[in-house]
Amino acid sequence: MRPVRHAVLMAVAVFAGWLVVADGGHGTPRAEAETAVSPGAPAAVLTKDKAQAILGKPVTSTTGEAMGRIVDVIVDKAGTTRAAIIDFGGFLGVGSRQIAVDWSALHFSPAGQPERITLDLTRDQLKSAPQYEKGKPIVVLGASGKTQPLTAGEYPLD
Amino acid sequence: MHVYEKLGLDVRHPPVPAPASAPVHAPSQRSLRGLDGFNFFIANVQTGFGPFIAVYLTAQAWTQIDIGFVLTLSGIVALACQVPAGILVDTATHKRTLAAIAATAIALSALMLAAWPILPFVLGAEILHGVASCLMTPVIAAISLGLVASHEIGERLGRNARYAAAGNGIAAILMGACGRLISDRAVFVLAALLAIPALVALFHIRSREIDSARARGGLPSANARHSPLHGIADNRPLLVFGAGFVLFSLANTPMLPLVGGIMTMRSSQWATVLIAACIVVPQIFMAIMSPWVGRRAETWGRRPLLILGFAALPIRGVLFALIGSPYLLVVVQILDGISAAVLGVMLPLVVADVTRGTGRYNAALGTVGMAAAAGASLSTTMAGYVYDRLGSAVAFISLAGVALLGVGVLLLFMPETRPAER
Repeated sequence: MRPVRHAVLMAVAVFAGWLVVADGGHGTPRAEAETAVSPGAPAAVLTKDKAQAILGKPVTSTTGEAMGRIVDVIVDKAGTTRAAIIDFGGFLGVGSRQIAVDWSALHFSPAGQPERITLDLTRDQLKSAPQYEKGKPIVVLGASGKTQPLTAGEYPLD
Repeated sequence: MHVYEKLGLDVRHPPVPAPASAPVHAPSQRSLRGLDGFNFFIANVQTGFGPFIAVYLTAQAWTQIDIGFVLTLSGIVALACQVPAGILVDTATHKRTLAAIAATAIALSALMLAAWPILPFVLGAEILHGVASCLMTPVIAAISLGLVASHEIGERLGRNARYAAAGNGIAAILMGACGRLISDRAVFVLAALLAIPALVALFHIRSREIDSARARGGLPSANARHSPLHGIADNRPLLVFGAGFVLFSLANTPMLPLVGGIMTMRSSQWATVLIAACIVVPQIFMAIMSPWVGRRAETWGRRPLLILGFAALPIRGVLFALIGSPYLLVVVQILDGISAAVLGVMLPLVVADVTRGTGRYNAALGTVGMAAAAGASLSTTMAGYVYDRLGSAVAFISLAGVALLGVGVLLLFMPETRPAER
């Protein structure tokens, strides 16, 4: 019984170690750009230095403070991106707030830093903004730190 | 006017003297230290689960809808399994093996979350974790009951609560730092690794020192009715305590998330540290106070301590409504520590008192747990709604009102359940 127990524990430890190593820190790129383009349909190839997926990506202020993660994107009827929903603050999942920030306040890969997203706002400006809630008018925090509601009719209310 | 006499408690549930057939061997130090360690490390392992799952899945590019679905489903599993898990623990003779299986399952679910954060694995992991957690609470209580003599159970449960609180507090800091410095995934790897010392501690408990009959609240007497609800639905002190505990949970559970949100709003630089303090401060007080609660429960009886723990909650709600400074809010969390210390010891202890001689200790514990969990999940939604519409002060005052109702139920209807002196 005992050797078996130890073997199991060892196996678990080794596997867990592999997980930590394999993780290699934050945001490893998932896959290289698709090279095989299906014939017939026109297709663009976006390499990772040109475009990136943003859901779940961390956002920092211009001075490098952690500002939370992008959890959703708001578009208007024309399909223009208007705001990003940021999950901000908290500890171990307690006390975080979701806040809509103006799309133009976000900067992607600034100063040639790939994978970095910065926000033209400070934590002080972000903290007291009204919380984003589904089905309610979205109050967007602008680059100046002032809030402005998206005018009625521009966004789909579900 | 003695409420207990009015209830006819002495007639229906006479104080049961400690069984004459107490085991010949007192539990060894090795077993008791093992149980200390198991409580500590299991609390470690469990800290990564809960609200942190949402943070982790967000970072894994999960949508909020999928995260909501997984959390709701795991909530339902955690609710539905409480009573069956309790019945299983009552019937199982190998409590230590059951605890080992539950601990391994929790570790496995942490590894699944860390390794493959995709829907089927996350769902599987959450279901596995929900079922295992439902087993863990009663199986630890059952091992404790089975290990020590009935007049020492208060002190033993106090130690359980102390080590669990220390484990929770230390793990919260450790895992918060781990998520910040290494990665969110590392939190679950750490949780799985901490299951190893938990299992080592568990196997220090000598299985033969666990009295299987005592662990389920004594064997049911021969003339006991064999209805599945005997000892639970017809057990008035249990129902009164259960009602009080449900009201307590209704008022208690939404408070920390609400306070956390307020911290994030009111303090920009220190919010994270302050929320961490709101989580850790009560654990420190619980770790300090719990053994004292366990000992006093044997000398003072259960009622005064229960009233102390329940009464701290409405006071906390009112103070949260009145106080603006985020730093003072952390100080108010000391009251949470007092409630947690009392309830952490009293929940398993009072249920043990009132189910002695029924053989349904763990089923009863599961029933109370299920009712409280159902109430808690409902009230978190409701408190959030009140907070959005009417503000934090109204939300906290309403919760304080519910808590006060719990105190009232206790004062009016709860009998003293401490067994009579031998």
